[in-house]
Amino acid sequence: MAGKRPSSREDRPLPGKEKTMCQSCGCGAGSKPEVETIKVLENLLAENDRLAGHVRHHFDDHGVFAINLMSSPGAGKTSLLEATIEALAGDIRIGVVEGDLETENDADRIRRHGVPAAQITTGVACHLDARMVHDALEALPLEDLDLVFVENVGNLVCPADFDVGTHANVVLLSVTEGDDKPEKYPVIFRVADLVMITKTDLLPYLEEFDPARAEASLAKVRGDGAPMRVSRKTGDGMDAWTGWLKAQVADHRKHHPKDGKAHTHAHHAHGDHEHGHHDHERGSAA
Amino acid sequence: MHEFSVMDSLMRLILEHAKAGGIARVTRVRMVVGRLRGLDLRQLRGCFEILAEDTVAEGAELDIEAVAPAGCCRDCGEEFDIPDYTLRCPHCGGGQIDITRGRELHLASFDGTREPAAAAGQ
Repeated sequence: MAGKRPSSREDRPLPGKEKTMCQSCGCGAGSKPEVETIKVLENLLAENDRLAGHVRHHFDDHGVFAINLMSSPGAGKTSLLEATIEALAGDIRIGVVEGDLETENDADRIRRHGVPAAQITTGVACHLDARMVHDALEALPLEDLDLVFVENVGNLVCPADFDVGTHANVVLLSVTEGDDKPEKYPVIFRVADLVMITKTDLLPYLEEFDPARAEASLAKVRGDGAPMRVSRKTGDGMDAWTGWLKAQVADHRKHHPKDGKAHTHAHHAHGDHEHGHHDHERGSAA
Repeated sequence: MHEFSVMDSLMRLILEHAKAGGIARVTRVRMVVGRLRGLDLRQLRGCFEILAEDTVAEGAELDIEAVAPAGCCRDCGEEFDIPDYTLRCPHCGGGQIDITRGRELHLASFDGTREPAAAAGQ
């Protein structure tokens, strides 16, 4: 390594380092390349956020209210959805986008209730992003739906940062998880519009879980406002939950009527998302 | 856990801007990461190295500015640092806090030369 250095000529600076100009004529040839600074200042989730905005337009055009449902694995997301579908049958038409690393199991569970479901298998990705949801929506008949749930991958970390184009975030905390979870995973509980404590029928068996402590932990990261409590087994709390859902759908409908006039925004070249969608997105962002 | 997606996005921005600006070699990259993003800085660096391989950004230095969280109380207007994500106003005890810092996540700028790597420094 040292042998490559022109050590015998100590008067000469190391090539490409201190030497800045051609020694014979000052033309700059062989000099250190000029370093330029390129200012960018672009958000690293900008592309996802643009697409998420586009997904929201899809929902809005169809008068559909959409919810991003998040929790750790096994907190009861799919169970809650099954109970919700039953409770709202004949009242609100529901569709579901299911996100998992593998298998079609959850979508199958939902379809057994006569509700359309699209399964996204992310492979290794630990969260859904706007692109995945966008593509999955092609399998859902939005014109026939009032409410769409996007059941995110069971994970309390990553989904918090990715807008998937829904209107509200609902985060579940099951009583089997520990009442200090909100403080351990503050980011996701912070982005939630609604937090629900699930599996409350198990509370008598779990002295470790104190709902008051869970609420204090939530208040610490979210500010004031109590979470809902629900049990699929006993049905406790289901009325408050379905009432909240109906209110959200009705409120959204005021601004985005379901008038059958789908796709009112410019939306061409559907098979070519890279270009067809961007025209529209730039227009709305400007 | 989604450090890779974030750095993939960063790398795409660099390549795009480098191409547009005629930059053949990127020497230094400056990104800003709010602490509330929950991103692991060591992992970000690891992903950057992997993603930069065989691109104009191979071997570039990565400067990460980590921004400490801060909030503002809606009740009394107090601005304060949030050391451990406790969203409670230290002044009036209010629980309605707006996050004012700590959610940043962007590519600020990068340095580069118009000379490709082989020519530079030889």
